[in-house]
Amino acid sequence: MSTEPLIQIRNMNKFFGNFQALKNINLEVNRGERIVVCGPSGSGKSTMIRCINRLEEHTDGHIIIDGKELTDQVKDINAVRREVGMVFQSFNLFPHMNIIKNLTMAQQLVRKISKTEARKTAMEYLKKVKIPEQADKYPIQLSGGQQQRVAIARALCMKPEIMLFDEPTSALDPEMINEVLEVMVELANEGMTMICVTHEMGFARSIADRVIFMDAGEIVEEAVPSEFFDNPKNERTKEFLSQILSH
Amino acid sequence: MDALIGWWDDYFWGAVIVGKVFLCSLSLMIIFGLLGAMAKLSNSRIAQNLAGIYTVVFRGTPPILIILLFYFGSAITLTAIAQIIEPEIKFVDVPPFWAGTIAIAVLVGAYATETFRGAFLGVDPGSIEAARALGMSNLQTFIYVRIPEMWRLALPPFGNHMLSLIKDTALISIIGLNETMFVAKQAITVTGQPFTMYIVVGAIYLGFSTVVTVVVMGVEKFGERTTVGAL
Amino acid sequence: MSFDLSLIVESVPMMLAGIGITLKLLVVSGLLGLMLAICLLLMRISGKWYLNIPAQIYIYIFRGTPILVQIFIIYYGLPQFDAIRESIFWPILREPTGCAILALTLNTGAYVSEILRGGVLGVGKGLMEAGSALGLSSRQKFIYITAPIATRLALPAYSNDVISLLKSTALASTITIADMTGIARTIVAETYAPYEIYMSLAVIYMIFTFGIQKLFGAIERYLGRYTKREG
Repeated sequence: MSTEPLIQIRNMNKFFGNFQALKNINLEVNRGERIVVCGPSGSGKSTMIRCINRLEEHTDGHIIIDGKELTDQVKDINAVRREVGMVFQSFNLFPHMNIIKNLTMAQQLVRKISKTEARKTAMEYLKKVKIPEQADKYPIQLSGGQQQRVAIARALCMKPEIMLFDEPTSALDPEMINEVLEVMVELANEGMTMICVTHEMGFARSIADRVIFMDAGEIVEEAVPSEFFDNPKNERTKEFLSQILSH
Repeated sequence: MDALIGWWDDYFWGAVIVGKVFLCSLSLMIIFGLLGAMAKLSNSRIAQNLAGIYTVVFRGTPPILIILLFYFGSAITLTAIAQIIEPEIKFVDVPPFWAGTIAIAVLVGAYATETFRGAFLGVDPGSIEAARALGMSNLQTFIYVRIPEMWRLALPPFGNHMLSLIKDTALISIIGLNETMFVAKQAITVTGQPFTMYIVVGAIYLGFSTVVTVVVMGVEKFGERTTVGAL
Repeated sequence: MSFDLSLIVESVPMMLAGIGITLKLLVVSGLLGLMLAICLLLMRISGKWYLNIPAQIYIYIFRGTPILVQIFIIYYGLPQFDAIRESIFWPILREPTGCAILALTLNTGAYVSEILRGGVLGVGKGLMEAGSALGLSSRQKFIYITAPIATRLALPAYSNDVISLLKSTALASTITIADMTGIARTIVAETYAPYEIYMSLAVIYMIFTFGIQKLFGAIERYLGRYTKREG
């Protein structure tokens, strides 16, 4: 296994027209690391992780995933997406397919796995997220927490090397947040490389290897949780923490 | 193309007729549409049912059929009435302009009824409550709050109704209205170039459609000036 | 003026004899038009200007001109050209039915493509992103995500267009086709009884329309079954 970082972002900038959403981002993520990204709205945290699987295109700089550089070429983009799984704030389960189909479709179409194999994998991961009995239901019949867990299973079915979470619990009712965080903690404990954009500071404290604070498109501070929460160095970080931790 | 020389005049006047039909039928269509919508929204069962029959009948029947019915039917009815008054009258002819204009106004009015009804229902009840709370009378609320809001909501589909009116005008040529299709028919017997002649008709109607579409877009933009950015 | 019921009883079967032609026009034009609409849709959403612009122009022309004009251009206009008369399509284009189907197809294709495009635009962006994140290609996303969802979204508007198409088939009577309306016009010319004939014909069309609405209602409920919450 290579000792190179799994994700390397170097001098990355992202512009939307004239607006600079990301400024000089430099980030390295090693295999097995769990990164939490936090910051105020509009700080660019979602944009940054969306650049990693090319849902957004970075304007300049380099993004290298497992040794492969992310470029315009469809070949490169697809190669990266094979290794990167994503969980969205609004779940984005396909409403016209039942749960099993949601989990097997991409396996069959993208990885060319047989239907039976795909189903087997799907049921494995459904068990892992603790809702195997929902297999034949449709997304509309599940609660938000259940839908998000299915979404995590769907991404995991593709056996990614890296998991990206874009505010996975922000759209959930409070009583459902825990069931999703539990799944994420288990995943983290198994050694999955993950980058998680979230406001759940308890989660960050307990499983993150590093916490990153972003503001106005820049990475302002990066530290291990104990340092980050107890001893923040930057003024903006301190301000953010005082706002978010005060209630 | 030189076949067209000498016919431009006739086409022009034909286009003027299309314009006249449009203006007359537009006014009638608005009246029928508003009456229909208010009947559907009223508390009277009879009114609701009549309006219901109106929309079902005129949305479920081919326009050409409605035009034929209005034209020939009115001729027969008026002749019968006239013969009661003056038994010597053989035939009362209804001008195709009026038979056709009223026919298409009634027809598109049935669609307009649904559009206006939906638009009235879409007016924010909060605005109405605010008007009442401020002491405005029913009539004032209707004129100053309901109607302007309703128009803004109705405008996009209403634009389509206007386009329907314009295009249905071509159908009135079937009962003898001397608009552009009719001109083309005459031109063909003289020049023997049906394609050229009908293409000109198409271009004239396309021109009308374009003008209406542009005007509607402009009015929509104007209406949006106070609401862009709001929900 | 009397209302002759016996005339209706006699005439309705004669008009219904034309139902075969009406249905043929409806179904053939409907299916061909749908295929054309899908082609136009793909051109519109392809992102390539040399496909998008021609499609837009086509749609603009066919939605901006009256269908009667389109029918006349094809039936009366095309024979003006030797090239047409000598082509392999002439056997079709010589016949009024072939021309009617062609005109109806070209027309409905334009309208339906916009309806389908509305459906496509209604598919949530998030779902497309989920598809991308899973590694699906553009083609795969369109077939497995966009198409099923867009179809369900477009269905109500599409059913309205099918009803419009039904009503447009009546225009075939203007180019000598003996569909239900064509037969009716012949009967009226002989009997001078527009009310009885045209009103009963209108009822026939309304029943047809009702049937189409029920059919599509059932399809909508079937496709939307996963949008109902159980238990």
